Amino acid sequence: MFKELNPLLHSELRLGIMSILISVEEADFVFIRERTMATAGNVSVQIEKLSEAGYIEVKKGIEGKRTRTVCKITEKGVNAFEEYVEALKSYLDVSR
Amino acid sequence: MEEKTLTEKESLELISQMILNTKQKLRSGSGKPFLIWGYTTFMVSLLIYYLINKTEDYHYHWLWFLIPIIGFVGNYLSRKKRQKHSKNYIDRVISYVWIVIGISGFLISFATIFVRMPALSMEVLLMGIGTTLTGLILKFKPIIISGFFAIASCYIFFFIKGSEEIIIFGFIFLIMMVIPGHILNYQQRRRHV
Repeated sequence: MFKELNPLLHSELRLGIMSILISVEEADFVFIRERTMATAGNVSVQIEKLSEAGYIEVKKGIEGKRTRTVCKITEKGVNAFEEYVEALKSYLDVSR
Repeated sequence: MEEKTLTEKESLELISQMILNTKQKLRSGSGKPFLIWGYTTFMVSLLIYYLINKTEDYHYHWLWFLIPIIGFVGNYLSRKKRQKHSKNYIDRVISYVWIVIGISGFLISFATIFVRMPALSMEVLLMGIGTTLTGLILKFKPIIISGFFAIASCYIFFFIKGSEEIIIFGFIFLIMMVIPGHILNYQQRRRHV
């Protein structure tokens, strides 16, 4: 039986951001943009969506003269990510 | 990367690729703090050794407190200059190790104002423990070896008396922190070329 894939995570950029954040304690906007090679506007929109869903925590601060946005995955985000990987496995097991 | 839906296989490939990519790009274990603390301790030791030998005024021992002042300011400025864009578990564990070691080291120095104790030997042992732990966490052999070298060399102070122990203290820090710090920086530069 196929498990349903979480539509919020089943998108390239959002899944990319979540995969980065699951491997670190926290990462800032610059780091995420560099790793995903996406535009700043696009990354910003997806971070907002993930934050609204409660999957990541976003902290905005000022360092020097610039604003620094730091993202961190939440427990809800980790659970959603794990469920997503489990669901993916169910698809791939059948296709083998 | 864009806002597009993936196939199941693409999703799995993306996850493993991003995790691997992030792991490789992390700059954990830069040798800079080792160089700052190592060179500072070495230079301050040389200065105190020189002044005490020249004047025989033991008040110059107060200059030991230059080490935490220069070390903290140097570290702060270095961090500010090279802002870190991500933090991982290793960074956090290493900073906890050095917070504990730093507080203990400061308490030993502070206690020597009131009580006579083999402070240099105790400091070397303590910093040697911190260095070895850092090397083990980073899985970096030169730091593990230099840390154990420092732990073992804390015995030297029981056989040496007088101002000579000050200069030996400085050289132990040179071997324990400066040499592996340079090796670590060199290897990281090579990896990122």
